[in-house]
Amino acid sequence: MKKHVMGIDFGSTTAKAVIVDMRGRIIAWSVSHMGAVSDAAVHEAVADVLTQASLKQEDMGRCVSTGYGRRMLDIADKNFTEITCHARGAVAMVPEARLVIDIGGQDSKTIAVDANGLVAQFAMNDRCAAGTGKFLEVLARAMEIELEEMGDIAMKAQEELKISSMCATFAETEVISLRAEGHSKENVLGAVHQSIATRTLGLVNRVGKKGPAVMTGGVARNKAAVHYIEKVLGIPLILPETPQIAGALGAALIGLDDYKAELAESGQTIEEDYEVDAQMAFDKACVTGCKGDPAEAEKNAPAVTGKLKSMMSNLQKHF
Amino acid sequence: MTPRSEIFEVLAKVCADPMGYARAWKTRTGRRVIGSFPMNFPSEMAHAAGALPLIIQEAEDPITAGHGLLFPFYCGFTRSAVDQAAKGDLAVLDAIMFGDHCVQLLGAADAVRVALPDTRVIFFQLISSMCDPWTLGRSKESFEKLRFELEDFIGEPVRDDAMRASIALFNRGRQAMRELYRMRVEGRVALTAREMQYVVKSSMVMDRAEHLELVEALVASASENLPQPEKRAVRLHLSGHFCQAPKPELLDMIEGCGAIVVGDDLYHGYRYISTDVGEEGNPMDSLARWYLDRNTGVPCPTRVQNDVDWDAFLLDAMRKESAEGMIVLMAKFCEPHMYYYPEVKEAFEKAGMPHLLIETEHESMALEHMRTRVESFLELIKRRRGVARANTPEGEVA
Repeated sequence: MKKHVMGIDFGSTTAKAVIVDMRGRIIAWSVSHMGAVSDAAVHEAVADVLTQASLKQEDMGRCVSTGYGRRMLDIADKNFTEITCHARGAVAMVPEARLVIDIGGQDSKTIAVDANGLVAQFAMNDRCAAGTGKFLEVLARAMEIELEEMGDIAMKAQEELKISSMCATFAETEVISLRAEGHSKENVLGAVHQSIATRTLGLVNRVGKKGPAVMTGGVARNKAAVHYIEKVLGIPLILPETPQIAGALGAALIGLDDYKAELAESGQTIEEDYEVDAQMAFDKACVTGCKGDPAEAEKNAPAVTGKLKSMMSNLQKHF
Repeated sequence: MTPRSEIFEVLAKVCADPMGYARAWKTRTGRRVIGSFPMNFPSEMAHAAGALPLIIQEAEDPITAGHGLLFPFYCGFTRSAVDQAAKGDLAVLDAIMFGDHCVQLLGAADAVRVALPDTRVIFFQLISSMCDPWTLGRSKESFEKLRFELEDFIGEPVRDDAMRASIALFNRGRQAMRELYRMRVEGRVALTAREMQYVVKSSMVMDRAEHLELVEALVASASENLPQPEKRAVRLHLSGHFCQAPKPELLDMIEGCGAIVVGDDLYHGYRYISTDVGEEGNPMDSLARWYLDRNTGVPCPTRVQNDVDWDAFLLDAMRKESAEGMIVLMAKFCEPHMYYYPEVKEAFEKAGMPHLLIETEHESMALEHMRTRVESFLELIKRRRGVARANTPEGEVA
């Protein structure tokens, strides 16, 4: 039985790969930045993640892809959209999350999710790049600064300006005009991030602000974007440690579900599942009437069958 | 029997160039072509007058000349119709009949009059309040006025027996198309949404006897060994588009994402063929009755129908079709649809029935972007289905 599963997020500006084990734990992850839907980037991310994990592609029980290039990958067994995968990945990273805000390179989306990471509702920017990573990229160029610097500079804004355009190109004109009027880079960049936040608020309201919100995607690493979005939402955003790999992680976990279902269908025991269940039973002293000795309690417990019986028979005293 | 592929080739050609078909028909027969706007125009009447009734279709061409006559905030269908008039594409029509179904159609009618000053324009009004005691009488009056104007245009009476013959022919056409719908729902025939659109849209253009022959051949050929729909595909209902046909590439994209369309209430679909006209008695009475009946058969948000809710109709239709979700195709700036959509949304959320709204435009479609939304919607349905069964995800095989 193969013991690992891979998820790949073949995005519009970056490629991400994640390997998880049979318990869904991240073994390795990698992010490659190499331009729009780049074959080289995805191959680099996959090679890197395999090297980190000291594994080969053939060791993967499943490989699931997501992102705009999801259908271009020969190594993927299945593909799912970013919406499905970000929902799953975000809830795996932050189990209490019920709202996922994902701002990626070319789109932004809000997803209402349930406790299993299943999508309840979603909304996407549907007309232009405003409010996405591409929007920031275009405006960074207009401001003659590096994309990575934008957030830090915007955090120094003192004055509230307004960029009203919904179109990235028209917004660029507005930015140039504001600069021509003598407004500082800091204040203009503050307005750029405020504009992203306003767009995001619109998307959030389309699915409902129904619980703790987690932000994923590359833009989650931009301090100013997070600050302004939190301000308009009126709630804090939970930021995973590695927000940019949420989609790839979700893809890997969906692949894991699929792989486990296949193993179960073919009657193969999933050792890791068994270990997890046994550990949980041990930790919780799951036998009815247990006073610290599950084996003793078992003698008086109602008859059980199947997997639970097998599990209980392996329990040891825990005092 | 004509092979299925050849039938679809003929139908697709008509759909791609309706005016080209009309020109060829006119040359072949030497008879008149009478155009009409979509919705409730009784094409049977123009047919009984010896003309080819043709429902004007949204064209593929980008709008250019029409911009001078109609503002960009009119819907795609009205702007396209006016554009076709301004470019001379509607010159083949000897007369055009308009009904006042919405404000935008009214505006388009005026613009077409300006663009085609030499074409006879016949305007008729239909009562939009469907449940009043006087509704039937008023609709009969409207149809009688329409008949009077038509007779004035052709210079001779439209005989009742000719009307009855036309009604019978149109009924056979509708019945044959409804049989295809039934067969599709029951899985007895594999018809894509694009093919179904070809069948219905071409019936709005073609010589009806010629069309009927082709559709009956399609029904008969269904017993042959045709490809069966993918069993794991999500069964979808399409709703909306009251006047124009959704772009075929949009339908292809939806089905290409792993769905099969099993039902619809589209104008270029079940809405157009849902209701037959009574063949007994006075044909004008029958047409007036038909106008009322078709709005309870498939409710339209441009009419005020107190006793039938559109959302309840949709949910019931989906239950009968075993549809798992609905995609709402809303033409941009379609005010009646915008007005009613919140009710549909609320009812679907209450019923726990997944649905996805897609706004369509004449000019452009970000198809790849839409694909992500449709795929996500289908994944949502499949994963719910998977959870309900065995927690097995069912993504698209790469």
